[in-house]
Amino acid sequence: MTAIKHALQRDIFTPNDERLLSIVNVCKAGKKKRNCFLCATVTTERPVQVNVVKVKKSDKGDFYKRQTAWALRDLAVVDAKDAVKENPEFDLHFDKVYKWVASSAVEKNTFISCIWKLNQRYLRKKIDFINENPEFDLHFDKVYKWVASSAVEKNTFISCIWKLNQRYLRKKIDFINVSSQLLEESVPSGENQSVAGGDEEAVDEYQELNAREEQDIEIMMEGCEYAIANAEAFAEKLSRELQVLDGANIQSIMASEKQVNILMKLLDEALKEVDQIEIKLSSYEEMLQSVKEQMDQISESNHLIHLSYTNNVKLQSEIEFLVNHMDLAKGHIKALQEGDLTSSRGIEACTNAADALLQCMNVALRPGHDMLHAVKQQQQRFSDLREQFARRLASHLNSVFVQQGHDQSSTLAQHSVELTLPNHHPFHRDLLRYAKLMEWLKNTDYGKYEGLTKNYMDYLSRLYEREIKDFFEVAKIKMTGTTKEGKKFGLHGSSGKLTGSTSSLNKLSVQSSGNRRSQSSSLLDMGNMSASDLDVADRTKFDKIFEQVLSELEPLCLAEQDFISKFFKLQQHQNISGTTTNETEEIDGGNLSRSYISGVPQTISSEKDMIRQMMTKIFRCIEPELNNLIALGDKIDSFNSLYMLVKMSHHVWTAQNVDPASFLSTTLGNVLVTVKRNFDKCISNQMKQMDEVKISKKSKVGILPFVAEFEEFAALAESIFKNAERRGDLDKAYIKLIRAVFISVEKVANESQKTPRDVVMMENFHHIFATLSRLKISCLEAEKKEAKLKYTEHLQSYVVYSLGQPLEKLNHFFEGVEARVAQGIREEEVSYQLAFNKQELRKVIKEYPGKEVKKGLDNLYKKVDKHLCEEENLLQVVWHSMQDEFIRQYKHFEGLIARCYPGSGITMEFTIQDILDYCSSIAQSH
Amino acid sequence: MAASKGKNQSSLALHKVIMVGSGGVGKSALTLQFMYDEFVEDYEPTKADSYRKKVVLDGEEVQIDILDTAGQEDYAAIRDNYFRSGEGFLLVFSITEHESFTATAEFREQILRVKAEEDKIPLLVVGNKSDLEERRQVPVEEARSKAEEWGVQYVETSAKTRANVDKVFFDLMREIRAKKMSENKDKNGKKSGKNKKSFKERCCLL
Repeated sequence: MTAIKHALQRDIFTPNDERLLSIVNVCKAGKKKRNCFLCATVTTERPVQVNVVKVKKSDKGDFYKRQTAWALRDLAVVDAKDAVKENPEFDLHFDKVYKWVASSAVEKNTFISCIWKLNQRYLRKKIDFINENPEFDLHFDKVYKWVASSAVEKNTFISCIWKLNQRYLRKKIDFINVSSQLLEESVPSGENQSVAGGDEEAVDEYQELNAREEQDIEIMMEGCEYAIANAEAFAEKLSRELQVLDGANIQSIMASEKQVNILMKLLDEALKEVDQIEIKLSSYEEMLQSVKEQMDQISESNHLIHLSYTNNVKLQSEIEFLVNHMDLAKGHIKALQEGDLTSSRGIEACTNAADALLQCMNVALRPGHDMLHAVKQQQQRFSDLREQFARRLASHLNSVFVQQGHDQSSTLAQHSVELTLPNHHPFHRDLLRYAKLMEWLKNTDYGKYEGLTKNYMDYLSRLYEREIKDFFEVAKIKMTGTTKEGKKFGLHGSSGKLTGSTSSLNKLSVQSSGNRRSQSSSLLDMGNMSASDLDVADRTKFDKIFEQVLSELEPLCLAEQDFISKFFKLQQHQNISGTTTNETEEIDGGNLSRSYISGVPQTISSEKDMIRQMMTKIFRCIEPELNNLIALGDKIDSFNSLYMLVKMSHHVWTAQNVDPASFLSTTLGNVLVTVKRNFDKCISNQMKQMDEVKISKKSKVGILPFVAEFEEFAALAESIFKNAERRGDLDKAYIKLIRAVFISVEKVANESQKTPRDVVMMENFHHIFATLSRLKISCLEAEKKEAKLKYTEHLQSYVVYSLGQPLEKLNHFFEGVEARVAQGIREEEVSYQLAFNKQELRKVIKEYPGKEVKKGLDNLYKKVDKHLCEEENLLQVVWHSMQDEFIRQYKHFEGLIARCYPGSGITMEFTIQDILDYCSSIAQSH
Repeated sequence: MAASKGKNQSSLALHKVIMVGSGGVGKSALTLQFMYDEFVEDYEPTKADSYRKKVVLDGEEVQIDILDTAGQEDYAAIRDNYFRSGEGFLLVFSITEHESFTATAEFREQILRVKAEEDKIPLLVVGNKSDLEERRQVPVEEARSKAEEWGVQYVETSAKTRANVDKVFFDLMREIRAKKMSENKDKNGKKSGKNKKSFKERCCLL
């Protein structure tokens, strides 16, 4: 480069009076050929002109041609393209933009920095240096980050620092990210300057001569005292020294040629050695190749050995598997063939053996295993064993069933006296020992299992039928026996009609008492008091018997069901379904629906069905027997239905709580329907009786028998249904009954001849009111109020009606007067009416002297006494009202006289005091 | 009447009790509490009403007839008849109303007059509304000394709290029963005398 620079200076610029300061080898952007040079030049004459000259090197030979020159002052922008990365491209903006690519980034930087310096020195014009990296850091005690105003400035500064360091400190300072050219080039240039002396550039570089350099020069110059005095001599001396140095230099270069030759020889030898080593290496490789082939063969054979080993292991495990799983111990075989099925130990042995057999048979054989002859043989043996054992087991169990049936029936006689059912517990316990074997049988030989099931059902159903029939027989005897005793107490034996013992007792009581009175309905209820007392005792006894029947049946059924499910293995998921239904049960309350059974998975329900079917077969006689018993209870006394309804409901409720689909709950549910029907029949019978009731025409009516019966029924029902689930049924019955009672009372009242209608109504409704007040049946609150209303109404109308009689004519007269007044005649003018003049009034009043009135009241009292019955004790109440009413009437008459006949001086023949006296005397005379 | 009565009450003794006293002292309330265990707050003047109940008196089942009467009446004589029919009386007043206490003397005199032929009439003086202690107008001592003067028992009751309600009815029934028994003895001793009354007695016991 220096050579080129030199050549350019000499060839082109010197003739032109220009000095070349910096040169860069460039090509135009996009072109490859690097044959152009950009040169920064200054004119040697003042005023100094700074130019940028493009010089082209001709293609042939070292011939340079000046092409274009720009003045520096035309330069507007220097674009270094990239501030961060080093790149050789840069643009110069003169009249237009020239894009250049330098041969290296360093060259580019040098060139740009030269331009900058020239500008600084000669033009001081603003040129934009774009995209140069002006950032630099100085690491002293810490890192200081600076940004210089331009990259050239920065570079200058850095190179200055470097130089200072080089010159004075020689200390190691790391110049990072600083181009090495920048640092090195400045050294020779500095020396150049000092050598070149008064060069223009030396002025530029002069700043860089520092004190030490000066010193060096001074010392050197002092070394030759004449230096200053005799510059020529000094120069001479210097050139002489230089020549000596050159000579030494050339000599040393010549001396080194020998060394170079030695080095070349050494290199040749080294190359030969390398060739030898290569030959050796290739021979080793060949050897290795053969070893590799051998190794491959060995590994293949190894693989084969491994394969055969694993095959052997697998085969062994298969054989071990077959032998382990398909081998049945001799003891087991023996147990299966001739094990004792009666002793519990024998059973256990058999159970274990059967389990083992089943396991052997159920071994999951892999496909292909069954092709093995030995396996086939073993399987055949197993199935033979199974056949044999199943047959043996079935026949044994059959005989056990028969045996148990006989045993049980032989003990049956003991139970006949008490109302209990024989206990099947020991029988169940004995059989449960076989439960596992049954399960085995079920799994292995379903046909035999079914046969056994059927046999069991046959024997057991016969056994149970006998037991249950006997049981119910005892229950029936007890029921009828107690009622007979009861009847003996009251009257004589034979039970009455279906209408219930109450009425039949009443009828009998009438006959037996031989009373002169005919058999009238009013007598029916007189017997009631004593009869019902007896009935209550009877009924509670009946209630107890019935309860006992149910509570004996329940555990029997449950135990049997439990046993069946355990023995015949039908129980798998029962407890799960049990709990779920329990929950729904509580929500539903008394409302027992069966819909939720559908929620239980199919298999379970089929097993439950199975149990239910078996239970239905075994206990087929329960339902008819229960129905018979209920019919009997109903026949003995229709009120027993109430007890039965409550008890049955309760039992159904508890049974369904346990398991709504069980045999027990369905059976009891069915029977409950019958009971409910009886209950309804009992109610409708009562209503029919009311409808048909006939009363005597001769005697007074009093309290109607059905009113008393309703009281009795309600009292009984309240005691029975106290906390029962079927309260709703009873309430419905109540409402029906009370309506019928009301209607019938009115009917009888209308038909009554001897007793006035009002009296019948008053007395009976008073009684009903008292009954309802006493029993406090909440659903009949409205009827209670109605009864009270009817009672007061008819009391009033009876009083008014009856009082018309003692002062009949007076009454008529004043009614007439009131009628006239009502027609519009003024009260004072009534006396001018012909029929109601004072004369007439006097005549009427005359007819009722005190004596007459007293007689009339006396008669009235007697009549009332005759109309009313003793039971309701309303005489005093009625009489009290009558006295009141009578006095009110009297006052009313007096008032009318005072108003309609003023000043006539007419008064009644008797005074209020008289009336009071009459009343007192009537009181005294009774 | 006698015949039907005999049929009716075949075996049960019947005791007839009359409630006597001024209006509003709680005769009906006492009766309803005794009969049906209920207490009615609203006051509605009674005209007259009759109640019957089976009770067990010292182990013996008897029937009690209660005639609940009107307190407010214009003419005392009207009461004669039912006083006449009664066998025992609960003479009720309210401890919160002194007038009602004073009135008891009149009622007692009328009872004595109406039943003049009887020596000793079963009667209890009852001071009702004992739950309203803070409104008391009749001191216990006053009522008690009056009762002592008359030779009868004094009991304070509350129909509201049921305090002593059963006691007054049962004590009265006991007195009635005792009287009937002594009369029977008398009758057995000397059969002469009040024919009508003894006839009645016998009927009751049939």
